[in-house]
Amino acid sequence: MRRPQPLVRSGVRKPAAARGSRKGRGVGRRAAAVAMARRPALGRLAQEAAALAGAVRGALGPRGGRALVVRPAGQALLTRDGRRLLEALSLEPPTARYRGGGGGAGRGAVRSGWVPRNRPCARRMMAACACSHSAATGDGAKTFVVLLAGVLGGLRAAGGGGLRRALRAFEAQVLERAVAQGLRGHLLSALPGREAEVEAEAEAGALQALLEAYLGGRLGPGERRRLARLCCEYCRLCAPAAAPRPQVLRFLSRRFAELHVAVAGLPVGSSRVLPGLILRRDFAAYCPAGGDLRAVLVTEPLRPALSAPGVEFVVDSEGQYQASLRWISRRTEALMKHLQSNSVKLLLSSVKQEEVVIYYAKLYGVSVVECLSSEEMALICEITGVSPYTPFGDNILREITETAVATFCRPLLLGSKRCVHIGFTSVCAFQPHCLILCGPVDGVNEQHAAALQGAFTMLQQLFKRVDRGAECKAEAESQNEAAGVCSWRSSATQKQLVKENISCSSNQVSERQLKTHKDEIETQIVDPDLQGSENPACVQTNLQVPSNPVSYIKEFSVATEGGGSSRDVQKQHAKCEHPGDMHENYKSDLLVDNQKNCSTAVSAAHNASIVAGCERLGVGKDLEKTSCNIVPFKHEKSCVSIAQNYSNSLIEAGSVLPVGGYFEILLHYYIQYYAKQLQQSEVTVISNVVADALLSIPKSLYRTTERNSFTKFYLKAINALRKNQPLAMNEKGLESVYCKYQLVISVLHCVTELLSIDLIIGVKRPPQKIEDNDSEDDF
Amino acid sequence: MSRLEAKKPPLFISEPLAKDTVSQSLSLLSGILKSCYGPAGRLKQLHNGMGGYVCTTSQSSAILSRLSVSHPVLSVLTASVQNHISRFSDCGLFTAILCCSLIENFKSLNVASCTVIKISKHLLSLCMDYLKSEVCGCRVSVDFSSLETLLCLVRSVLTSKPACMLNKPEVDHLTTLILKAFMFTVPCHVETNAVLGKCVIVPVKGRRVVDSTVLPGLLIETPEIQLAKPLAVKRTCSNMIKIALFCVSMSGDLFNPEEGTITVHHGISLEMSELHQLLNVGKQLVNDEVGLVVCQKVIHPSLKQYLKENHVMAVDRAGLSLMEPLSRMTGSKPIASIHSLSPCFYGSLKDVRIESFASKHFVHLIPHDTVVCSLILCNRNETAWDELKRACETAEHVLQLTMKEPLALLGGGCTETHLASYIRHKSCSLSSSSFKDMDCSRTQYQLVADGFCRSLESVACSLNHDGGEILTDMVYGHCWFVPSGFPSVSNWSDLVSKCGCGINSNTENLNWRLLQGQFGSPIIQGCPKDPSVKVADFLTLDCFAAKCSGLQVALETANLILDLSYVIEDQN
Repeated sequence: MRRPQPLVRSGVRKPAAARGSRKGRGVGRRAAAVAMARRPALGRLAQEAAALAGAVRGALGPRGGRALVVRPAGQALLTRDGRRLLEALSLEPPTARYRGGGGGAGRGAVRSGWVPRNRPCARRMMAACACSHSAATGDGAKTFVVLLAGVLGGLRAAGGGGLRRALRAFEAQVLERAVAQGLRGHLLSALPGREAEVEAEAEAGALQALLEAYLGGRLGPGERRRLARLCCEYCRLCAPAAAPRPQVLRFLSRRFAELHVAVAGLPVGSSRVLPGLILRRDFAAYCPAGGDLRAVLVTEPLRPALSAPGVEFVVDSEGQYQASLRWISRRTEALMKHLQSNSVKLLLSSVKQEEVVIYYAKLYGVSVVECLSSEEMALICEITGVSPYTPFGDNILREITETAVATFCRPLLLGSKRCVHIGFTSVCAFQPHCLILCGPVDGVNEQHAAALQGAFTMLQQLFKRVDRGAECKAEAESQNEAAGVCSWRSSATQKQLVKENISCSSNQVSERQLKTHKDEIETQIVDPDLQGSENPACVQTNLQVPSNPVSYIKEFSVATEGGGSSRDVQKQHAKCEHPGDMHENYKSDLLVDNQKNCSTAVSAAHNASIVAGCERLGVGKDLEKTSCNIVPFKHEKSCVSIAQNYSNSLIEAGSVLPVGGYFEILLHYYIQYYAKQLQQSEVTVISNVVADALLSIPKSLYRTTERNSFTKFYLKAINALRKNQPLAMNEKGLESVYCKYQLVISVLHCVTELLSIDLIIGVKRPPQKIEDNDSEDDF
Repeated sequence: MSRLEAKKPPLFISEPLAKDTVSQSLSLLSGILKSCYGPAGRLKQLHNGMGGYVCTTSQSSAILSRLSVSHPVLSVLTASVQNHISRFSDCGLFTAILCCSLIENFKSLNVASCTVIKISKHLLSLCMDYLKSEVCGCRVSVDFSSLETLLCLVRSVLTSKPACMLNKPEVDHLTTLILKAFMFTVPCHVETNAVLGKCVIVPVKGRRVVDSTVLPGLLIETPEIQLAKPLAVKRTCSNMIKIALFCVSMSGDLFNPEEGTITVHHGISLEMSELHQLLNVGKQLVNDEVGLVVCQKVIHPSLKQYLKENHVMAVDRAGLSLMEPLSRMTGSKPIASIHSLSPCFYGSLKDVRIESFASKHFVHLIPHDTVVCSLILCNRNETAWDELKRACETAEHVLQLTMKEPLALLGGGCTETHLASYIRHKSCSLSSSSFKDMDCSRTQYQLVADGFCRSLESVACSLNHDGGEILTDMVYGHCWFVPSGFPSVSNWSDLVSKCGCGINSNTENLNWRLLQGQFGSPIIQGCPKDPSVKVADFLTLDCFAAKCSGLQVALETANLILDLSYVIEDQN
């Protein structure tokens, strides 16, 4: 295995005095109280990010190694989780740099690699961004840092941070289009369709593939398959039906701490799923009972007290004292009797109960579990839908209504610990099951538990989708209103377009719409030239005779096969298969999507605009565009890909891609593809930077392999894309495209944020407050 | 103002296994553990420089709990072995030595660690499948209707702990006692959920080991009882002794866990009132014909006196640990209130006697159903007694584990060499599709398999501490030890008589080869055979569950450590 690349140090540290004087010049008298630094230069930011990336790269991907994190108290934690790694690495307090001597003492202790940096603020911010992204999606902290380093490095090479504004434009104009028009066609779906029986198996397979790939980045090579299988089984048992699965997954990731038990000292293979819940304490009183049993929850001591805080108990005579004690005893007994008569067999208490209570419980055949944590109580309440029982009041003998039903309740020996194992009947979608995680050391179990919890968070993302950006929506609205001026006109690219299409905009049709038209028509016209075999007339025919659905389908499929398949053609194709749906589709199209407007225009034979488009073609037929169109879109792939329904989402729920850098390669390819269509320099620069930065992820992934080198993989994939062949995806694992897309967006936002900072001010406040802030904004 | 120190930056070490310090510490640890292994293992004396307690031991549980490991990577290893010991008690040294030599062997291979891990996982699954299959040649099934195998199992545990300082008759005596004690704990009436009883070890130091004995029931130490007086315990009509078990204090002290205040008027004594209530309890006990009162905590002297006058025996300060076996053995439930007594909480005993061992006096409670017994364990000095106690507990645990899974593995290094020869045989005949599954080449697989086998064999080799040769035969794959002092080119069949576990004797030409040394040469290995005759006395046997789990844990831990690419140490 290769060593991770050594961390780059950002310049040579100046002596404290020299630094101070420089700053003194900059900010005048206030330098004594407030330390300031100029805006972190892009170069320095890039170095910071590269240092972080170098630190996490070794743990990235299925071949990455794990880290042993030793906590101050000496406990060892094994992890490959990027978030934990970043947390462990950036413990340095923000003020350290401004104290006398800086990290001098610390530096002496460092044996190799990590060097305390004198400008930690930017790094902490990067780490914080990565962590918050990972907390939201359950995945991608390491990839975040690698991609961030790639983008910052690329920006530095491209010349400066003046490109900040262009980042937004890139996101709206290039990235969304690349995803919507390019990437979408390659996506697979992990969610079942309508034929439930066939799809259930496929879904289980997809789930396993997703989990295996996810755990591949979190666990060692020996454990991932076993745990993925276990996790699959667990999900299946907790949510037997597919419908409530997102809800159950949310529940699992929230309550996983109480739903698993770790046993150290056993091989990983002994891990298993058990029905019911396990409470990690022994019975205070255990009375075996068969069949279904009722249980009550209590949150206060059941033995009445003689005195309470602020209450004084006055003893007049010995007899009175004894009588009071006897009364307490009897009252406790009466309560237990009452429970017994209500056939309550199990008492679950969040507080420690007195010996007397346990004694009477045993006497009346009630099992007692005490000292339950508030989380466990909340979990039980949530599963069973009961609320805690309060016995005191005027009448202790009123009927007990709040009882939970358990099918069994028995002691369970886990390792050397005795636990309580209860089979509650659930009132929610979650079917109570718990996971027993075994591993040789606690650190491994902790790693497994964290990975599984992350997996549940990640799986939730599978059910989410990405909606189109606000700009697109605004655009759609403005189209409906037929407004002459569109909200995004201000952007430089569009301005240019406005100039080109000035005559067309008089039609009160939006520019973008026209542009798409233009693309489409161009494609159709250019293709026959290139292919040489197709009949150019087919385009004409189908435009003029839209009323004949049969020929329509035929003609368009011909066009598609010819390789002139822009997105619109595919859509038409798909649409024609469901002629009945056509009208509805039109409606939604009109509302949401500019491209669909375009296709509507075509199928409704709005000849005027087409003529306009054709005219445009004659004028704007330049070489660059033609060359763009040489590369056809893949339409074969789209046949097996998800059904493209006409919602306003950019990425459908359940979209997945095989792991191993395919997402990055595809996005890289399409970003470059769409960037070439733009003539605006800044956005193009950004596009190239991002596209190249994306490749840094597969590069890191293929870093340690012997046989599949990155170059080989890259060339193969790009050639396949150019030749319109399906990508040979030989990886079994899958990953959620939603998570991946969010990652790219988050990185871009983080870059924007980093570039927006112009001054770092070190403030001297009471240390406690700083600590507080620290913990808040960090993680 | 509180002192505030700047946080130190974390210490970041990449590729920890490539560092010399780790490999040095690892080989040191491995050396220490190897020298302890087996019946001929060398003892370790553990003490700190300031005097105090000295521990002489060769057991992994004692060594690892006292040894402080400098490097975090090694602390993962020791933690893992300690966890294994806490689950199984046995095979701790086996696990630790195997883990160390797996790390050393795999590290020296020039194969990427993730490939090594995948292959070794596959090798482990081969091993486990073999061990769990019927054809496995290195396991024997344990027949609970005959004592032979059980005795072998216990004897092997005792002889493998040389720090107990036992001679042969002592080993035999203790072996019988431990087995007897175990038999006591098996309930006579089998229900659906049979729960084993408990064997309580009573320490008697400064006596000979052969003075140890097993008694049914429990012993409670009572220093104040006079031996001279005859014991008169009240019996019920059915000649039983009724027992009341209290888990609440009967000292008459007032203790109020509640918050708030209690105001007592002048002239009122709550202590008196409390004592009065205690005496009421005493009266009720007498009326209920209770013969013996056992209290976990302290009994008030007045109550004791009252009970004594009414011929009720009172034993206090029994302690929490005895409460559960007491309640189990007598069928009584601990009473937690002195305000209401229910007759259903009383239990019964067959007899109560006074026993004394060395200078200690005990009340001996004899139950009807003997699921609880006491093992009075004697040894000459404190250190040896501690070691012996650990050995006895291990043996008891091994018997319990064997009860769950009535199998045992051949000891004396034979299981290790047998498994190694099985793996060598298997790894030659693997189909190429399996290599594709593991994403590795045949050569890589062979390399890793060889490292795995060598690690297993090195565990067997560490049984030998005298420098003699160690052989393995090509028929059964067992392990043979040549006494030291013979040149290495002798005729092996003249020198060896029995294999390590004692199941095979030197009767045929078994085609021996040296276990160490000629690793480079390819070994053509047939599948090792199952010894035809399986019944033999004085076999060395190991616990099946403990060894299987130890094998898995050792490999998983080794993989874990090989997979480490950084150590991040928080230095605060």
